[in-house]
Amino acid sequence: MSGALARLASAAGLQLEWYGGDQAHAAVPGAEFSELVSALARRATLSDLFATTTIKTPPRLTAVLQVADDPAWLLLTADLESTRFASLTAQVHAASWYEREIFEMHGLEPVGHPALGPLRLHHRPEDQPPVPDGRGETAAVPSRINSRRRTPSVTGQGVFQLPLGPVRSGPQESAEFLFYSGGEDIVEVDLRLGFKYRAIELLAEGLRADQAIQLAERLAGTSAFANGLAFTRAVERVSGVDVSPVAESTRALLGEVERLHNHFGSIARLAEATGLLVAAAQYGLLKEETLRTAGRLCGHRYLRGVLRVGGVQVVPGADARAQLQAQIGDWTQRSDRLTRLLEQTSTFLDRLDTTAVLLPDYASEHNLVGPVGRASGIDRDVRRDHPYAAYGSVEFDVPTVADGDAEARFQVFSRELKQSLGIIRQLLEHWPADREEPGVTAWHEGSALGWAEAPGGECLHWVDLDGQGRLLRWRARPPAVVNWHPFAHACGSGNNLTDYPVIEASFSISAAEFDR
Amino acid sequence: MSRWIAKGLRTGIRTTRFPQAGVRGEEGAPSAIRLRWQGLTAVEGLEAAAICPTSAIETSGTAEEGELRFDAGACILCGRCTRRFPDAFTPVENPRVAVRSRDQLRTTLRWERGEAPAPVALAAAASAVQQAGLRLFRHSLHIRHVDAGSCNGCESELQMLSAPYADLHRLGLFFTPTPRHADLLLVTGVVTENMKAPLLETYAAMPAPKLVIAAGACAISGGSFAGGPTTVGPLDRLLRVDAYVPGCPPTPQALLHGLLLVLGRASQGYRADQEDQGGA
Ligand code: SF4
Ligand code: SF4
Repeated sequence: MSGALARLASAAGLQLEWYGGDQAHAAVPGAEFSELVSALARRATLSDLFATTTIKTPPRLTAVLQVADDPAWLLLTADLESTRFASLTAQVHAASWYEREIFEMHGLEPVGHPALGPLRLHHRPEDQPPVPDGRGETAAVPSRINSRRRTPSVTGQGVFQLPLGPVRSGPQESAEFLFYSGGEDIVEVDLRLGFKYRAIELLAEGLRADQAIQLAERLAGTSAFANGLAFTRAVERVSGVDVSPVAESTRALLGEVERLHNHFGSIARLAEATGLLVAAAQYGLLKEETLRTAGRLCGHRYLRGVLRVGGVQVVPGADARAQLQAQIGDWTQRSDRLTRLLEQTSTFLDRLDTTAVLLPDYASEHNLVGPVGRASGIDRDVRRDHPYAAYGSVEFDVPTVADGDAEARFQVFSRELKQSLGIIRQLLEHWPADREEPGVTAWHEGSALGWAEAPGGECLHWVDLDGQGRLLRWRARPPAVVNWHPFAHACGSGNNLTDYPVIEASFSISAAEFDR
Repeated sequence: MSRWIAKGLRTGIRTTRFPQAGVRGEEGAPSAIRLRWQGLTAVEGLEAAAICPTSAIETSGTAEEGELRFDAGACILCGRCTRRFPDAFTPVENPRVAVRSRDQLRTTLRWERGEAPAPVALAAAASAVQQAGLRLFRHSLHIRHVDAGSCNGCESELQMLSAPYADLHRLGLFFTPTPRHADLLLVTGVVTENMKAPLLETYAAMPAPKLVIAAGACAISGGSFAGGPTTVGPLDRLLRVDAYVPGCPPTPQALLHGLLLVLGRASQGYRADQEDQGGA
């Protein structure tokens, strides 16, 4: 295993232990962790940072990094001697919310963090632990965060506050936005999430991994399959099971179907936000047709209940595949035509142009993922950079745009739709023969990372299993965990209150996926 | 802009004929699971409970003597039981799965001395009683939706209600942003600690008479998240519920059925332990 990652690791003096060829682990002393990760993050991307706290062992930090042009992941772990560690945030902005979560959920203090505030917990008395102790192996340490609202940083004459949520106006997810405005402009937004915190990862602890797939699929309904897949693949990495070609094709196919219904839905919402009701209806039709196709392919409109450790429970039947194949031409044509029409509609473009801008520098400092990142010039996609399922055997482009505004995000959505339809076509043309799959024959102890490109971006799941396949610790880092961070920043970049629906639609981001 | 009008006209009408006519299977996937108890042995029942990831299938006792409780309100439609025991657990293609009382989603089987399982009591029949207040809303109804802790799957289907296929407005149903104008509270998701207060405040702000619908396994029973450390539990622990729409998520047509059911504009079609009753 040579390559960019190995070179970087040896330059940093790390002893690598390889796991299945696509992930390398290295343990480092707690005192050196922060400095080392900061140094590595100059040449690699920090994709996750999380803590594991148990009753029996010292608190442990894990950093997940990826290096350009290397399909492997680097996982760095360190056991801490105390409940404090040096914050990375000043050097690596992307660490900010990870550290806040570590502080909030595990009571480990990132010393020097510029703005430690709550992320998900509300109104919790200081002495009460977030969850009962003794579930699985994890003991949650009492959070010492004050859950009261922070004092507004914007004051002055004429600045007024406008609250929105947590109960929203239409059938939307619960989240709270507090706008500070001087009249029409958005001066700042104070974002409050966590209303939907269901403690899914904790709920799963102690369950056998195969029984927890349904929970991974319910982290977020609109990215059910990608989250389920990243989780299942992490479990498969630990257990060392192989997946048959037909299961790999099924996984890639359904992953793309999920992207289709999401992106159709996202553009429908953008059209609705700009008052283009016919366009919204047209994209709504496409979304409903995709959901029905999903149902016919696998028995569930949101692609749930398909995955299992070592393969899939259902392979799309020949009829459903043929029907999909016949459908693709029509979808491609209609979606192309609708995109062209939108591109010629000035009332649409004017509302999106220079709305909620995220500049490429900001995007790369925060390691933004998915269409939001790619619309700000971040050329990353785990389907291409860390191939999995059947993605190694199909050709596709990863569209990027550098403008970073809502229009750029619309462009990325529509170009990705085209790519997804192309991937589906290729998969169907080379559909592998059915094969019996053994699944898991014996569970192994250990931990590993799994990944998938969700419609919203890079989706990482890390699991630690005992010898019976039970979950000791599960860390889910779906794309929303990354992409809510820039949301408030984007709102404040010279927009008006009336732009808000466009901003939200262009992010196409789920609160459930963040809150978990 | 005129191009969009032309586009709209060219596409023509795509709206479903539901609820006026049959649409079985139109949505591509089942709306619920039903237990055909005649097709289940005690041993199979015990195994079904072991593979069911939620409390939808629970058993006590042994193959000699025991009990099986089936609750479609906790079913997340994972497909495990239907694939393993297709004679007993059968998918329901009819979208008319909403019910007025929680018990209509449940059934209990019992077996003794090694005999075949038989129902203790059949699922309660549809109630003929209509509340007097309902007539007020028969022609138009304003819905306030509250996400009390969903995964966003339920919202995704709710958003499809406004899309052309379901087209809520043709039936005189509208979402409203103001609780004071709302006749009906539609709740999705398991109620989390953090959403309990906003949910109850919204309910309190609505004028009487007010209707409540629990949509999806989470709101009905806690679904996948039942017993979670940060959840309060099913909706009917907090509020009186007028209709339950099973599913994970409930399909757009099942949601429509639930709305029309509480208004007395549709009849009930689902029973946890009987064959499809026809209709739609
Ligand atoms: S389909 Fe429903 S009843 Fe059957 S195993 Fe899954 S959750 Fe349980
Ligand atoms: S019922 Fe299912 S789809 Fe609805 S919120 Fe719960 S998990 Fe999500």
